[in-house]
Amino acid sequence: MDSAASTHKSKFFKRNVGLFFILIWLIGFIIFKVYPFATSLYYSFTDMHLFNGIHKFGLFQYEKVFTTSKIMKSLKITFKYAFITVPLKLIAALFIAYILNFKIKGVNFFRTAYYVPSILGGSVAVAVLWKAVFKNDGIINTILGFFGVEGPNWLADPGKALWVICLLRIWQFGSSMVIFLAALKGVPADLYEAASLDGAGKWRQFFSVTIPLITPVIFYNLVTQLCQAFQEFNGPYIITNGGPLQSTSLVAYFVYKYAFEQYEMGLASAISWILFLILLVLTIIAFVSQRYWVYYSDDEN
Amino acid sequence: MKLAKRFMALSLSALMALSFAGCGDKTSDTSATTKANSTTKAADSNSGTDSGKGYEDCEISISWWGGDARHEATIAAIEAFQKKYPGITVKYNYGAWSDWETAMATQFSSGTAPDVNQINWNWIESYSSDGSTFLDLNTVADTFDLTQYPEDKLDLCKVGDSLQAVPVSMTGRIFYWNKTTFDKAGIGVPTTNAELLAAGQTFKDVLGDDYYPLSLGEYDRMICMVYYLESKYGKNWVENGALNYTKEEIMDGLSYIDSLEDNHVMPTLAIQIGDGADSLDKNSKWINGNYAGILEWDSSATKYRSALAEGQEMVVGNYFTDWGSNQGGFTKVSLGFAITATTKHPHESAMLMNYLLNEDEGTTLLNSQRGIPLSAAALANCTSQNLLDEMVAEANSKVLAWCDYQLDAKFEDSSLKGSDGVYYDVFGNLSYDNYTVEQAADALIEGVGATLSK
Repeated sequence: MDSAASTHKSKFFKRNVGLFFILIWLIGFIIFKVYPFATSLYYSFTDMHLFNGIHKFGLFQYEKVFTTSKIMKSLKITFKYAFITVPLKLIAALFIAYILNFKIKGVNFFRTAYYVPSILGGSVAVAVLWKAVFKNDGIINTILGFFGVEGPNWLADPGKALWVICLLRIWQFGSSMVIFLAALKGVPADLYEAASLDGAGKWRQFFSVTIPLITPVIFYNLVTQLCQAFQEFNGPYIITNGGPLQSTSLVAYFVYKYAFEQYEMGLASAISWILFLILLVLTIIAFVSQRYWVYYSDDEN
Repeated sequence: MKLAKRFMALSLSALMALSFAGCGDKTSDTSATTKANSTTKAADSNSGTDSGKGYEDCEISISWWGGDARHEATIAAIEAFQKKYPGITVKYNYGAWSDWETAMATQFSSGTAPDVNQINWNWIESYSSDGSTFLDLNTVADTFDLTQYPEDKLDLCKVGDSLQAVPVSMTGRIFYWNKTTFDKAGIGVPTTNAELLAAGQTFKDVLGDDYYPLSLGEYDRMICMVYYLESKYGKNWVENGALNYTKEEIMDGLSYIDSLEDNHVMPTLAIQIGDGADSLDKNSKWINGNYAGILEWDSSATKYRSALAEGQEMVVGNYFTDWGSNQGGFTKVSLGFAITATTKHPHESAMLMNYLLNEDEGTTLLNSQRGIPLSAAALANCTSQNLLDEMVAEANSKVLAWCDYQLDAKFEDSSLKGSDGVYYDVFGNLSYDNYTVEQAADALIEGVGATLSK
């Protein structure tokens, strides 16, 4: 009996020796991710204030989120932002990746050039530059003026400022592009050959061969981009400061404002959790929907 | 098997979303943060008191915000302090105002703040409303000379009987004009409201659509309106924790601000946002004189003066006597110094503060870097050596002589003053014509009321 138990034990150890390799990551993950995650869940049910502490418990913060028009408006703007940027960014990334997959002269240069914005994009300097590009006498309006068009006031028009932020995100399609490029390389050449023998042109090949085969990667990019878009912070913070008239106040920006400027940790946590739930639901929808449009080559169907 | 795979994928992506959730943090730490260790040995606090010296060998820390000139002067003063008191090591940490408050708030809340801190006046209300964040300076009165300060100014920094901070200087808003631009328009700088309103049209006719005699952001407009209302109606904005003005009076004030835009006195907010500058002193239209006036704190006006392009002259203006029969306007403690309550070295921290704010050596180096000093000793020392900036001194004396009203501590609450706060909402929508004057008044009354009742 004893020996059986010890064999069982050593088997367990052998089978799970990998755990030790990830132990350092695991400790960091628990301290810096799981703990704040759990704490924020707890705070979201309290009136946690950075300096006044906790005085009451309940669901009132969630109630406040849904009854404060400012926050609801920012949720709407965030949805708008995500649903504008994610499809456009994926289309841009796939399109450029498809072109860069051809054997063109200097293709490596172009691959690098298109990837550069993704490395720079998250940085503060580019956001500052973006503001300079779109200001009244910035380069965009100067070029428009060259053609005799009077450029709009991009940063101050509530209808256009969101597009300035969106464009910054769409411009940074490099990382999705690289993933698409890898996927495109994985599409077997004999399928294209067969398609062209059947008389399919480049477009037909793209839509009937390429797209179906890379749907798993499209799916992966969709989910990651969706998660990131909902958490965009740099653009509104640096370029527009949430304005004009709160037209670019994305949710993550509000979370920061409430948490670190007004010290309302409870409310900020509640907003974060609602954001998390929204992301969770959207991800579940994406996962449920994939059986209708994502093709896995090892799939039984 | 298929189900298990799907489930695995789903949980992995949930995990991913979870790990992204931690990334929403601020990534733009632009404030220059520097720490320096002096060459003196870092002795620990247990090395015992040297009774001959009157202080312990120890390491203390200090923090402040400001511009480059203030940084240089303060560092020089700290180094002189360390030379005078060998054995005390001072670590320092400084930066620009932008985001400084959020960084300090987390330090105060987590108990990791430096021993001595330059604080904004409303921090007492925000971070230490029960008096527990900052040390009661009465407990170190034998080291820090409180007698140099007027009693009524010290009272502004008290929570109950506990003196939370020492006020370094007083400040108020006052007009500054770009005289060069007014000269170009062929008129003198405005001394009355009527002249200001007329200047709008003159600027438009003589200099062009791009020129305005004044430029006010959202928060500046709020302050300008309160100065106007106080001049006209002769009462504090907030009295005994309640708004002291009726809806009609507030509508009058808002109409006045609106009229400044209509008369081409100041640019609309849309124009200012379209300029794409972070602040007015970085706006090319201020630098080149297109915007020829500001209503600014006397303690921070030098920043706007030094931003001007070569050949432009900035002068201190006068308060308008035709706004009303009262001397409208409020003053406030521009900034203070406080000792963190958790400090292990209150005595040495107080020594450092006294050196910087009261002793001749320190105040000579710091002169008017933090405004015109309230400390009688510092003022006497700086005046006798002629160290004070002439424009700062002129503006400060005008402010102190004119402004009759009190600033309530919640006027600068971030729920009002912040970029998503009430003032931005009210004056933004008013300028964009989304609110009528009446709607703006309602929004302002509701927003201020909500903050006051917090």
